[in-house]
Amino acid sequence: MLKAFFSNWKRRVAQLVSMGIIGEWTFYGIFRCPFAVPYIGCGNCPVIQCPGRGLWLWTWILIGMSALVFGRVFCGWVCPGGLVSEILSMGPLLKFKINGWISRLLGFVKYVLLGLSLYFYFGLSNPRWAIPIRTGEFFKSVGLTFEHADPIWIYKTVFVLWALCLSVIISMFWCRFLCPTGGALEILSRFSLFRFIMNDKCTDCGLCRKHCFMDTRPSRKNCAQCGECKDVCESEAIEWKRLL
Amino acid sequence: MNRRSFLKSGSLALGIGLSSGNQAFAEDNKNKSLQVWSCGGLAEAFIPANQVFETKTGASVSYTGAFAGALGKSLLGGNATTEVFAPRVLELAKKLKAQGKMLSFEPLCFTRYVLATPKGNPAHIESIDDMGREGVRTVLIPDASPPGGQASMIILKKAGVEDLALKNAVKKGDCVQTALTDLIEGKGDVAVVEQRITRLPQFAGKLDVRPIPEQFIPPVPVPFTIGVMTWAKNRDLAREFVTFILSDQGQAFFERAGFIPARSEEGERLIQKYGVLDA
Repeated sequence: MLKAFFSNWKRRVAQLVSMGIIGEWTFYGIFRCPFAVPYIGCGNCPVIQCPGRGLWLWTWILIGMSALVFGRVFCGWVCPGGLVSEILSMGPLLKFKINGWISRLLGFVKYVLLGLSLYFYFGLSNPRWAIPIRTGEFFKSVGLTFEHADPIWIYKTVFVLWALCLSVIISMFWCRFLCPTGGALEILSRFSLFRFIMNDKCTDCGLCRKHCFMDTRPSRKNCAQCGECKDVCESEAIEWKRLL
Repeated sequence: MNRRSFLKSGSLALGIGLSSGNQAFAEDNKNKSLQVWSCGGLAEAFIPANQVFETKTGASVSYTGAFAGALGKSLLGGNATTEVFAPRVLELAKKLKAQGKMLSFEPLCFTRYVLATPKGNPAHIESIDDMGREGVRTVLIPDASPPGGQASMIILKKAGVEDLALKNAVKKGDCVQTALTDLIEGKGDVAVVEQRITRLPQFAGKLDVRPIPEQFIPPVPVPFTIGVMTWAKNRDLAREFVTFILSDQGQAFFERAGFIPARSEEGERLIQKYGVLDA
């Protein structure tokens, strides 16, 4: 399993380095962010300890730029949530069983959640749904946040955790179907300058999809530009394309 | 004593010495940790003060700063505990003491409400009356969590400018920090906030402040107290911490963060005015 996990060691190293840089912020966003939409507008957040206060602006600029240049490369190479999802997805019970119209329908949910997030942030000035524990020991502060949060904050947090854990049953469930950031990057990735594509040699054998942790094919919806399909394609039909 | 006996007894003595030393060291460390909770608004003062206390005493301070109402609720009704607690609102300290959860308390500091304007005060705000002046763009925060929102609206009401200030409002939000960002970005001319907010690193030096007459300030959110709790495992250390926080060195952190220290001439006057006494 470990060998399989590190088969693309460059991507794993990138993910682990990123986990070291923005991983703590990711945890704060889920467990201690008092706002309806976490990870954005962090400069004004009262949670003093959250590293996002110093990271958020440049991180979002870089994520947006990366999507315009390399598509959803953030999802496949950087996102700590993506790494957690991948670990949970190792050997999922129902891999490839969510497809067809259900998959297409679920694929729209991330855009709905993106729209809701934008509405909460811009339309409602990102309301506060929990009492910010400004500073304190991490787990005690998480406990206090849960204890004094509005029910809607608890529903939101439980929903996110449930969706992440669902990866144990359905591969990359959160990333493929629900992640609003993934939805935004999916839209931007349509304009990306570089990406993996399938050329004319493709025989539609489906081997790339079978190998893909996001259950997709190069340049199709949810492609995280990991490049792992390139080496498994027997027809050499997958190439790195510069769309300039 | 032959060589073998010397080595044997020496090794034994060294072993006993090291083990008892380690134990004493661990025991000492265990006894020298202190859990401190406070109103979140005091965090900017407590964090550096705690560091100095840790350096001075070798004790470690585990600090939590959050909305005092929530922490108080956990302490009063829940199963949460802490060793030192510094809440806003005098009534909370009195309730904790009445329940036998706080041993005693002392006045810590007082907050000060001010008129915040963008640097240079472009709308020439001089008094709270100017919030009702035609053409002045007010930034209000009626829905901010207590005491920021409610207190600011009471101040406007007491000053007799609430209706006009509401009419002049270009923003009505629920976040004090967003309100100040709006002022800095020139989206408004004036807001009523606690002085401590204007001292936060992201706002320091970017705003001007004007005083608000004391008769308009609601008394409830103004005083902060500090007290040792019954759960304090090492009461001497807890008392030492309180003594340090109330010393000139400790109180300086609160003054720097925008509060009026209790141990000051102005603080003494406010102690009498608000009756911040552990009677």
